[in-house]
Amino acid sequence: MNVPRAASHRALAPRAWLVWSLAAVTVALVTDNPVYRGLVALVALNVLLTWLPPWRRLRPLAVAVTLAAALAALINLLASHTGADVIARLPDGLPLVGGPLTLESLAFGGALGLGLVAALLAVAPLSLVLEPHDVVDAMPASLERTGIAVATSLNLVSGFGRTFTEVRDAQRMRGWKPGGLRSWNEVLVPVVVTAIEDSVRLAEAMEARAFGAGRRTSYADSGFGRRETVVVAAALAAAALFVGLRAGGAPMDWYPYPTLSAPPINPFLVLGCLGLALPALPLPALAPHEPRGRAK
Amino acid sequence: MTVAVESAVARLERVSYWYPNQDEPSLRAVDLEIGPGLTLIAGDSGGGKSTLLRIFDGLVPQFHGGRVSGRAQVTGLDPFRTPIPRLAQRAGLVFQDVETQSVYGSVEREIAFGLENLGVARAEMHDRVDEAMTALGIEGLRARRLATLSGGERQRVALAAVLVLRPALVALDEPTSQLDPEGAAAVLAACRGLAAEGRAVVVAEHRLETLAPAADRVVIVEGGRVRSGVDGRLPPARVAHARPPRVNGELAWEMRGVAAGPAGPAREPVLHDVSLAGGRGEVVALFGPNGSGKTTLLRTLAGLLPPLAGTVRRPAGRTAYLPQNPGALLHLPTVREEVALTLRRALSAESPEAMLAAFGLARLAERYPRDLSSGERQRAALAATLAGSPALVLLDEPTRGMDLAARRSLAATVEALTAAGAAVVLATHDTELAAELADRTIEVRGGRATEPAGGATPPAATRPTATPTAHPPLGVGTR
Repeated sequence: MNVPRAASHRALAPRAWLVWSLAAVTVALVTDNPVYRGLVALVALNVLLTWLPPWRRLRPLAVAVTLAAALAALINLLASHTGADVIARLPDGLPLVGGPLTLESLAFGGALGLGLVAALLAVAPLSLVLEPHDVVDAMPASLERTGIAVATSLNLVSGFGRTFTEVRDAQRMRGWKPGGLRSWNEVLVPVVVTAIEDSVRLAEAMEARAFGAGRRTSYADSGFGRRETVVVAAALAAAALFVGLRAGGAPMDWYPYPTLSAPPINPFLVLGCLGLALPALPLPALAPHEPRGRAK
Repeated sequence: MTVAVESAVARLERVSYWYPNQDEPSLRAVDLEIGPGLTLIAGDSGGGKSTLLRIFDGLVPQFHGGRVSGRAQVTGLDPFRTPIPRLAQRAGLVFQDVETQSVYGSVEREIAFGLENLGVARAEMHDRVDEAMTALGIEGLRARRLATLSGGERQRVALAAVLVLRPALVALDEPTSQLDPEGAAAVLAACRGLAAEGRAVVVAEHRLETLAPAADRVVIVEGGRVRSGVDGRLPPARVAHARPPRVNGELAWEMRGVAAGPAGPAREPVLHDVSLAGGRGEVVALFGPNGSGKTTLLRTLAGLLPPLAGTVRRPAGRTAYLPQNPGALLHLPTVREEVALTLRRALSAESPEAMLAAFGLARLAERYPRDLSSGERQRAALAATLAGSPALVLLDEPTRGMDLAARRSLAATVEALTAAGAAVVLATHDTELAAELADRTIEVRGGRATEPAGGATPPAATRPTATPTAHPPLGVGTR
């Protein structure tokens, strides 16, 4: 039996991916401890690299997470003047940023950035590993329409970059040159209008194919096997552990002010983070089940 | 006049339709019956063909709004009032631009989308998806991603996605306008096959030469009115125009050993070792299948893509470039302003009126370009591109969605430009246009450009009297 190429790349059932992503995001955001956030980021990157289909590019995501992390660190460094270890000083007369720049504020900003990186990498499989129809399959029945909206948005987003290039090139050939903000109207207006037109066309096409007729069914079965069960259990356990300890007031956060200190490390929480790595591990006993699409 | 058939699947009686905020109707008192078999809808762009097709599945007026009068029925249902999802099981529509009608990313799931919406049981869905794929001969595409398909394959997948709902009437809006001849032939064969099964297949098309002989009936839609075309008054397919002699043979542009492709170190070049040249006043036509590298070649020649290897020379003066998507150009409130902007940028003292008149746009000059039909929009983009006496003209599929009159306008304008010394390179699937206009044709396939043996000149019937070019090897090919 031939395995459909599109299906074989995601290996886990879409709903398992959704649960895994939500659990990983929860872990990344429930604490500001850079150790756990860093672990989640590394685990999520490993999972992503394991299942990234060859036709998908990682570079835009890499650029986005790098910029997000750098920006968070920079903003905290410039705006928070707390901390004992001064590494530089900006003139006091500068609004907002004037004053001492401290090692502590840089470190805390770095931890904030790491949280963003971890969260972005955790949700990345939903757009980079799953196909749009997988996103629909992953949604609970009550959110199917939301899933379709997300799926179609993903389709349009992929066309957005292409449209931008087309419009920019076409306007350049008519003599447009990038200048101030206003000059970009000639590019941005057609790009936005094209996106709106494409959305209307898509809505029309969907309606012509009976979208909105009533209760939907799915072409694919839920596809939950042993691997999905184990992955989901580990992800939920990790999320529950972090949320539970947070609710119980256990020390898990890190606050570098006024002087820099090492973040606290709880081995159970480390294990919880590592449990999120299960989708990347080759576990023969938990081999992926047959993909849900039909193959001939 | 009523266009009638013996056993009507759809019937329109005195149907008129006004889009929202429009005083003029887009359809005027249309009487029409559609029966089993292949019905070809022909007519000028902007004449109402797409609107007419949308009547059958209720999108007009239910999705688009506006005002409608008259009566209609499609397999016994009133398309003006029956919910569209219910009508979708009786009448299906394949839209002009297949790329913007895809919901999912994979072939199998895309075809099944309509069945999912109707709540069909999974086992039955599988059977019906199989049935639709078999009917169109696309079983081999089952596991493919849509993004990897050729234009013809994608069009047939879109057709399967409609067919899977088992409609009695299937309408296709210019299904071949973006396809190479092979893809177009496959889609049209599929249409003929469906019609032979007894389904009502309605195809709106400008490229009539292939489809007209197979059509059971031809309906012409012009100015919102329909008339039968079975009386033999089909518009001639060939652009009848005589080309004046070229100005001279001076070298205008040249590509030497060019490799080109999207930016990025990991990207394979799309073009491989291409060496081409063209003279002033010369028209060079590029042809080849979708995805062969024609657009990359034009973009490289335009200077939009820096070559990865080799050199590109362009003439002094403005290079005009028409992209495949006319929407990429148009952003101003009126057609006139679009042309005026190009003239202003080109520091030209010309008035926009001449170019507007050349493309039959005078009456549309104050319209918002994006409200126009696809053919009219293409003409507006051409007018905005070709204004201002360019030295090099690069046209990517310039006749997309254009009717015969517009093609004639294009031919005349290109001839005027070449007479003034402009060099023209056009990528097209329109063999009629290439035969009419081109001094040389070049095949682009797999990123390599070759001048076919004996194919360096268009057919003798349309070949102009030409002065031999003086420049050396305007020859073509890969080293």
